[in-house]
Amino acid sequence: MIGLYAVAIGAPRQALGAQGEPVRIVARSGLEAVCGEAPPALSAEALRAHEAAVRRIADESQACLPARFGASAADEDELLEALGAREQELREALELVRGREQMNLRVHGAAAAPTPEGGPGTRYLEGRRRATRLPELDPLRSSLSAVIRAERVEPHEQPGLIASVYHLIDRGAAADYRRAVESAALDGIRLSLSGPWPPWSFAPELSP
Amino acid sequence: MRRPPRTPAQEIIAHADSSLLEIVDLVLNKGVTLQGEVILGVAGVDLIYLRLNALLCAADKVLPSGGRK
Repeated sequence: MIGLYAVAIGAPRQALGAQGEPVRIVARSGLEAVCGEAPPALSAEALRAHEAAVRRIADESQACLPARFGASAADEDELLEALGAREQELREALELVRGREQMNLRVHGAAAAPTPEGGPGTRYLEGRRRATRLPELDPLRSSLSAVIRAERVEPHEQPGLIASVYHLIDRGAAADYRRAVESAALDGIRLSLSGPWPPWSFAPELSP
Repeated sequence: MRRPPRTPAQEIIAHADSSLLEIVDLVLNKGVTLQGEVILGVAGVDLIYLRLNALLCAADKVLPSGGRK
């Protein structure tokens, strides 16, 4: 059993995995699977160690898609088969994240009231549209338009937590991003920010 | 009477600070997967999925600047 840390381009030849092991690279037509020991049992320490290992690899790679905790294959052949089946999707994602990293925003507040017009179907669709578009963030988006390269919005059902928003930014732009978020005047919402992180939210999932 | 020992998932939920919650969201919810069943096979992950949003919400209330690194 081998564990996967990342799919990358230009990954470091020498890096340490989550369990202190040297990672090895299994390459096929330019895509590099950065592998190590089989994943350990779930624990807070194991999750932190996985994140730290991915960060070490991402910092030294040209482009890096992190692998989820627990991603593993029986052997190299099985790994290459799984990656080969989605090669095009992985290449596109790698091009998107090349030289970039991610910031996480948790958007707190009360979700906007649904528009009263229209039937239940229309109101539902409008609610969905607002939830994934999150127009409350538009002032921030416009002040960050030079910095944000891509965005993923994940609406939440949790009262008080409207959504999680993940922004892809160029490496080195985190300080500018943070300043803009801290000085943003947003109506009725509050943001908590973390990052920079490797671009976790911009990796395609390989499971159907 | 002694309580039964906590599962790893319960331990994580009980002790998660905002930085660990950010890591949990990324490392367990995001990223390249190879086989879905392997991820779901990690014992207790479903419990963490269920609680994560509530914890992210609560963490912000405790730490107004929560999640800053």
